[in-house]
This record gives sequence, C-alpha cells and structure tokens, in this order.
Amino acid sequence: MQNRHTGTDRFVVSRDKEAVTHLSPGLFPAGRQSEWSAQNRTLIFSIHPLNNKTALAVGGKKTRESLGNDTLTFDQDQRVHICGISTESDSRLAFINDTHAVFVALQQLMEEADVDDSTASAVGIKGLVKMSVLYREAMQRQSRVLADIGDPNEFIKEEAETFQAMHAVWHLLEIIYLTTNTPGLSTSIVPHFMEWLNANFPAPLAEDAHRIAGGSPTADDLARNELLWPYLKKLALRGHVSVLGNMLERLAPSQLLSASAARWARSLSQLCRKMPLSSSEETAGSFNSRWRQWNEELRGHATAIGSLLGGAGEKDESAGGDKDKALETLFAISEVMRGDLDAIAAEGEIWQDIMGATLLYSEPTAQADRLPALVGAIIEQFEESAFTELDRALVALLNHDLAEFLVHCDHIDHWLSAHISDLMDHISVLDICRRVFVVDPREHYLMALGESYLGHEDLWRVGLDYLGLCRTVAGALVMEEYVTRIPLDSDRKAEQVLRVCEVYKLDCARDRIHRQLGRQKWQRGRLGAAIAHFAQVCDHDSIGLICDQIWNAYISSGELTYGPTIDGVMASSSLSEGSGSLLHHERLQFLSKYRDFHELYAAGDFVEAGKVLLSILLCEIAPAYALGDLLVDSIPLLEGDTLVFSSEDTFELMRVAESLAQAHMKQSQQDGAIDRSEMNIFNVACTRNLARSFVMF
Amino acid sequence: MSKLQVQPVARKVTAISWLPPRAGTAYTDTELYFVTGSGAKHKELVLWTTPNPDFAQSEPDSTNDLAAVVSKVPHNGDVQGIIALSPSLLATASSTGIISVYNMDTESGSMELGESVTAHKFSNGEVAGATSLAVQPTGALDVEVASCGEDGRIAFTALSRLKEPQGYEVDSTVITDLCWTTPTQLAITTRGGQIKIFDRRMPSEILAAFANSQSSQALESIAVHPSQPFRLATGTAGGSVLVWDIRDMRQPVIEELAVHEANVWQVRFDPADSTRVISCSEDASIAVTQWATEGRGAVALGVAPPERGVRRLSSMFNALSINCFDICPSTRTHLLVAGSDSGNLLMEKTVNPDFKLF
Repeated sequence: MQNRHTGTDRFVVSRDKEAVTHLSPGLFPAGRQSEWSAQNRTLIFSIHPLNNKTALAVGGKKTRESLGNDTLTFDQDQRVHICGISTESDSRLAFINDTHAVFVALQQLMEEADVDDSTASAVGIKGLVKMSVLYREAMQRQSRVLADIGDPNEFIKEEAETFQAMHAVWHLLEIIYLTTNTPGLSTSIVPHFMEWLNANFPAPLAEDAHRIAGGSPTADDLARNELLWPYLKKLALRGHVSVLGNMLERLAPSQLLSASAARWARSLSQLCRKMPLSSSEETAGSFNSRWRQWNEELRGHATAIGSLLGGAGEKDESAGGDKDKALETLFAISEVMRGDLDAIAAEGEIWQDIMGATLLYSEPTAQADRLPALVGAIIEQFEESAFTELDRALVALLNHDLAEFLVHCDHIDHWLSAHISDLMDHISVLDICRRVFVVDPREHYLMALGESYLGHEDLWRVGLDYLGLCRTVAGALVMEEYVTRIPLDSDRKAEQVLRVCEVYKLDCARDRIHRQLGRQKWQRGRLGAAIAHFAQVCDHDSIGLICDQIWNAYISSGELTYGPTIDGVMASSSLSEGSGSLLHHERLQFLSKYRDFHELYAAGDFVEAGKVLLSILLCEIAPAYALGDLLVDSIPLLEGDTLVFSSEDTFELMRVAESLAQAHMKQSQQDGAIDRSEMNIFNVACTRNLARSFVMF
Repeated sequence: MSKLQVQPVARKVTAISWLPPRAGTAYTDTELYFVTGSGAKHKELVLWTTPNPDFAQSEPDSTNDLAAVVSKVPHNGDVQGIIALSPSLLATASSTGIISVYNMDTESGSMELGESVTAHKFSNGEVAGATSLAVQPTGALDVEVASCGEDGRIAFTALSRLKEPQGYEVDSTVITDLCWTTPTQLAITTRGGQIKIFDRRMPSEILAAFANSQSSQALESIAVHPSQPFRLATGTAGGSVLVWDIRDMRQPVIEELAVHEANVWQVRFDPADSTRVISCSEDASIAVTQWATEGRGAVALGVAPPERGVRRLSSMFNALSINCFDICPSTRTHLLVAGSDSGNLLMEKTVNPDFKLF
C-alpha cells in the first residue's frame, strides 16, 4: 500500500503541473533544513485522512535553558498551511465520468452473464467489443477536446500525448484479443493491424496528399515535386495501394520521366490495383495461390527495374537525377511490396511501420500468435533505450507479455492500467499473468485509481465505485475504511454515502456513519434527528443520554417543550411495525408518556392523566432520577376534588415512594433526591387519598 | 427504457430551472434559457441557452451541444434550489443556509448577485444547509420565498425585505422539501417520513401531519397538483413515489408507485398532463409515471388499474444520481432538462411519449 502511494505520487507530481506546493512560514522566516534545525525549528504536519492534502505548521523547539518548569517544548507557529497535490485535473472530469459509466455498465453486463451461468464468450465478444469501442470513443473525445484548446500549455500537450498513447494501446489490445479473437473464426490480423497503424500513427498525412496533388495539377508538376518520392514510398509502406496506384498513373504521362520509368510506373500502377484482398468467402488456399501469383509478378518487376537501374547508373551518369530518382523509387516500392524485409526495414522510420509492412506484404494471412516472433526480429534493429513507454507497452502486448504490458500501461496512465486490466479479466486473459504479481493486478490497479479519485470533491462516488467493483475482500475492506472518512457536508450527501453502504453491503461502515451523524446532529442541537440516527444502529446508550438531556432541560426550565422533538422521530415508527426498535426504547417512551400526562392534565382530564402517570411508574420505564419528580407530580391528583387513584393505585404510589426512600438511604450522598418536605406532603396526600378511596369505593 | 441526450458539463449539477419566456406567456422565443446550479468543487450558477425545438429547422445534429453557456457566476455554497421568479430575477438556496437573489439579463448575458441572507442556522451557531425553496403562488409583485433546511426550520423571506427572514422551527429532523399548496398554505416533507401542513398566517402551528402507514421511509421531495391543492406527490428515500389525497385530513388516501430503486430527489406533476408524475432519482433515472387515467380520479389504496404505466429515461453515459429536472413551461414540445452527479446535462424532447404498461 505504501509503495503504491509513493509510486502514484511521483507519477502525479511529475505529470501534473497544476500542483502548487509552497509554504511561507508565518512567525519564523523561511530557511534551509540545516539552519532550521540549528535554530531548533521543525515542521509539524498532519496528513488528511482522505485526500492528499497536508496541514503544515512551523514548530519551534525551545532550548533547555529557556524552558521553565512547564513541559511545553514546542512553540507553535500561529499559521497552519494546507498543502495539496491535485491528483486529477478538472480537464479530465468529463472523461472520468464517461468512462466510469461505461465501466459500471460493463460490470453489470458481466454480472448478468454470470447469473446466467455462462462465461464471457456467451455474453458475446460483441458486447465486450461494444464496451471497448465506447472506451475508445471517450478517449478520442478527450483527445479532440484537448486538441481544440488554443494555445496549449505544457500540461495540455502532455495530456494530449497521453490520450493518444492510451488510445493506441487500447485499440491494439482490442484487435488482438477481441476483434480477431472471435471464437470459431480464424481471422487474419493484418487488415486490422494496418487500420490500427494508420489510425494511431497517421502517415502519410492527408495534408501531404493535398499539398502534393493540389499544388501539382499536371504530371510534370507532380514529377518535379520533391515531396512526391518519399510520399509514394510511405504510401507503399502503409499499404495505401489504391492511392499509390492512382498517383503512379497520374505521374506516368510526365515528360520528365524516362520512357522506362514511365512504363514501369504504369505497370506498377496496374499491379497495385490487382493486389489480392482476402475475404471471408475465399478459402485460404485460393487466396494464397492468388497472392503467390501477384507476388511473383512483383518480383519480376523488381528484378527488371533493379537491372535497369544498375544498367542506367553505369551508362548515363549525367542523365539527370530525377529520372534516376523515379526509377529508384519505383524499385524501392516494388521491393517493399514484394515483401523484401531489408527493403522494408530501410524504408520504415518507426518500428510500427516496419511491422505493418512486413505483415502486409510478407505474411498477409498472419494471425495474432505470429506477432511475438515478428516483433522480436523487428525491434532488434532499434535502439531500445530510445523507446517511449508507449513503445514498450505495445511491444510487450505484441509479445503477449501481459505482465510487463500492464506495468508499462500503468506508467502511461493509471486510468489505462486499471481499465485495461479489468477488460483483460473479463476476456479471461488476465489469469495468464496473475501469478507474476504479488497482488491481483486488476484489484491493485482499480484500487489505486479509485483511491486517487476519492480526494476530489466531485469524484468521491466514482472512486467508491471503483473500490467496490473490485469485488475482492481487500477492495471491500479499503472501501469500508474510506467510506467513513468522506466528509458528510450535507444531509443529501449523507444519504448518498449511506446508499453506497447499502449497495455494497458495508454494514459496519453504515453503523459508523449513523453514529457519526448522530453525534453531529446532537452537537448541533438537533436532538430528534440524533435519536433517529442512533436508533438506526440501536445505540440505546446514546439515546438514553439524549433523553436525559431533554429531561434535564425540562427540569431546569420547567417548560415542557420537547414534544415536537420526540414526535418527529416517533411519528413514523409508531405507525410502522417494522422499526419497533426505536419505540421500545424505554426512556423515549417515558418522555412520550410523560408528555401525554401533561397534556391530559392541562386538558383537565385528571383521571386519564393519573392512569398515564401510574402506568409510567408500573412499567418502570422512568429513570430512577425522575421518580421523585413523578411522585411530586402526583400530589395535585391525590389532593384534587375528584378521586383519581384507587386504594391499589395509592398502594403502588406508596411502594414506589418507599423504594425510592430506601435507595436514598443506601446512597445518602447521592444528589438529586427529592426534597424531604415534598416527600412529607406526598405521604400525607397518599394517606388522605387512601382514606378517601376506602370511603368512596 | 428511453434514452436521454447527454452533454457533459464537468460539474455536479444540483439544481435546475427554466427561465419564464421573456414576452409574458408568448410561445415565440426562438432561444430558451435555463439556469443550473452546481455543487462540490464548482459552486456556481450557469445560464444556458438552447434553441426552441418548436422552431427547429431540421433534425438536431447529434454532434451539436444541447445547450450553450451564456454566463456563469460563483455561488456561496452548493446550490440546493433555484426558482426563476421572472426572466430577470432568480432566487437560490445554498448548502450554507443562504437565500440569495440574483439579477440577470438574458440579452447581455449578465448575471449578478443582488442580495443574500442567512436563513438557516443550527442552535450552536453552525450554518445549516437550506434544502429547498418555493415561491408563494400569488400574482403580487412582492412575493415571499419560503425555504426549509437541515435545522428543521422554515424561513419566510419577502423579496422586498430580504434581510429580515422569519424562521420557525417546525420539525426535529431535517426538512427535505417544501411546496405551497395554496397562496396561504404550505406543505413540507421530513426525514422522519412525515408531511406537515402549515398555514402561512400561523406558521408556528402545524395544521396537520401525515405519515405513510405502510412504510416509514423518509420523504425526500414533494410537489402539489397544478389544479387540485389537496393532491400531493412525494418521493421517498426507498424509491417509491406516493400520491396523496389529503381531503380527509384524518385519513389521507395514499397511492404508492414503486418506480425507482433509490432516493427520489425530485418529483413533479407534469404541467402538460397532470395525470403524470415525473420523478428523478439516485438510481440515475427519470421516471414518467401515469398515476391516473383521465377522468378516473384517485382510486383506493394499492389498487392499480392496468392502464397505468411508467416510462423510464436514462442514459448509458450517466451512471450517477440525477439530482434535479425541470420541464419547460412554454413550449409545445415536451422539453425536459435534468442535471446529474456525473456532471451531465440531460435532455429529452418528445412529442408523443410511448408508455409501457406496469
């Protein structure tokens, strides 16, 4: 866990230029660490429990001499600084929310598949491809948003590069493991690879074509254009053969070309058009024979142009560079197209170019399992130290070295490693590399991503989803820890956090949040709401304490104003049988009944009031400290004109009074006992009432 | 399930309100305006404009934005409620307990804070979030805005005397929403699961209090029928929408419609057809529920005639809570705009919605 944090921070700090970390100490001037320690100063800090903010203060250590007898050794600075590193840039918010929605939908899709007792293949690679395309569309959208920003700063440029790299990686994974991996269908990877290559590493650019073709209306102009020859070679290398064919045809009539160059240009243009394309209706054998035939023809062309070139070079040194250039280009093109590996390697600028041309012209029916051997041979020609993270990730992916691939993905962006490991898990290829990692890679990367979102005010819910949808024990544990630390700013947010607990079945966290809310409401004087929260977790002790507080407030003020407080929380539960736990809290019942007693008394219904008072005493729901007051409350009823208490009732009252007196004697020092004179009045009243009851009944 | 159109706006949208048409009740504005309030990191009010679909020249292009920003202004605290009093006047409720009035001009796109007052506070001095606000339905110029909050109080603020709010503590839990049923009567919902009715002239006394006897779930939102002040709709924390008939104050008739899976944050009778109730929820969907068929009125508790139905609206690109919605009152096309925690604006334009039977 610690390692992951360090890694993440380093990554973020070096990438995210928005972070501003500065400290300007208040009372103490700024200085170097050595100066600071010489002056007995230090930094005191505390890390935020949820996000990566730190509260910092300067502390000064007093010298021994200046210390008195007191134990204070630190002289605190008066200013506290909050330093934070923003992990997520706001420019990504829309992207994060979009992909979170796709992520959640993907988990649901797979969950439904699991319920049906079937695997990913039953859900259909189709469903996964659809989700994968949605992810890619989100990346493309974000790339467009970044590209539209006028005057981009360094950070925006880096972001744009990151998104292009993420798209390239994702697209290749999609091709290898989803598009060409349809069960029961052996598809060649080549057309998909070329599509990937041209989509993610665009060359030749459409602008080049415009510049060359637009600026050169005639064949002669075209032949004069310096940019034409490299462009033609690039077209061949990237497999744009029909464009190449058209260009050569347009070029052929030029007077600037030698007769042989013009003839071969025409001939090559026709060959370009004849290039065999595999289709699903054609058998592999039939395609191969067509391909061989085409390849033979090309080989013939290449040999012929080669010999012509050799001859021309010897014969006519001063014939003009252009003609030679034309023939040379035609020779290079035919060499590339006949699949000559040396020619391809000589023309390709980046290894992806070479890989594409090799696949297209030398192994047109290659499948994904052929890639490791090919890529190994090709990258040998390149200096590996010059490789970017993207190159490394792509090479690892082509090598089917998934563990290394994931590590490089994480270096590109932790969004990528998290989502790609999730996708790999769903297509059951993650298992291949699981044992390489100490922890489960999907869980690790998803948790790292989720944690990085938690500190963001807008993304806490997204972060929790990533933690929750890890669907592992560790994920649930971490989530349980985090969810209780989310600031409960408002009632609605509290409801939302509780809802998360419900969805992910975090019962412990739910209880802790209810207690937290209960205490918060209690502090704020919202006693009813506090009781409601404590009741949710059956915290009878806290409810008892709140009831005591209510009672004490009544005793000290003499005004019974708590009615609405307990009504609010009891109204719903009194009607509902399900939530009986709240109703059964005896202290709450006592307060409620006592309020009823007062209302009846005020309404002049003494008999009913007496019954309620007696029931409080009989049920023993009243706390001991309130008994004295209850007995005092009974005096007016005992002394009243109407007889309220029967002899049995009076005996009960006397029993309560006696037990109270006994308890009082045992704990003579205890405060809060009833006034002796009031007790005497009560005794007299009871005696008289008893006598009256004998007379009247 | 129908799909909503989505536009990411990179901020949590917590409140939304269409502005009334500029020219009285005329339906001729080619540009419609609405205001959103956001919370969490970006606490601000944003004025948006969108073309009036009644005058659409062609089918809207899916690549176009649904709405464009006209202007924005920071807000003190999360925006918990917005009421457009006129095309140039706006009242908001904030999570810091402040009721603010904003002046705006859609022509120049300006929007600025007029006045504000702290209407909600806990007894220990901490600020208490306002949860909702509602404007008194009178034709008078000096209307009164009632707000409710987490401090269990309702506060009345006359626009001309904004600095002197009158507050009354009426509940011990949180008041989640309120609405005026008549110009003198208002109803609140509480976290304790009650509806309480008040008379504005005696605001500290509760006229009546109801709870759902079938379940004790907290109520999250309330709305009143446009023409029948005794008929209320409430949304619960459990995801159902309750339609109440409170003519008999002792025993209200309640109809429960289980349309959502989580807290119903806002509920509203469809202004175009009040036999429908529209609600939005934490489960990231909007439901349009046909609660009564024309002319039948309310029926007995729990009996749902088969003609009723619910139409659900959601979007694949919106996974989090839909916090608020508003229906444009001045277009023939049913134009609904909503905001969500995923930082999206969601919109639906329909002429003839299709209903799926229960």
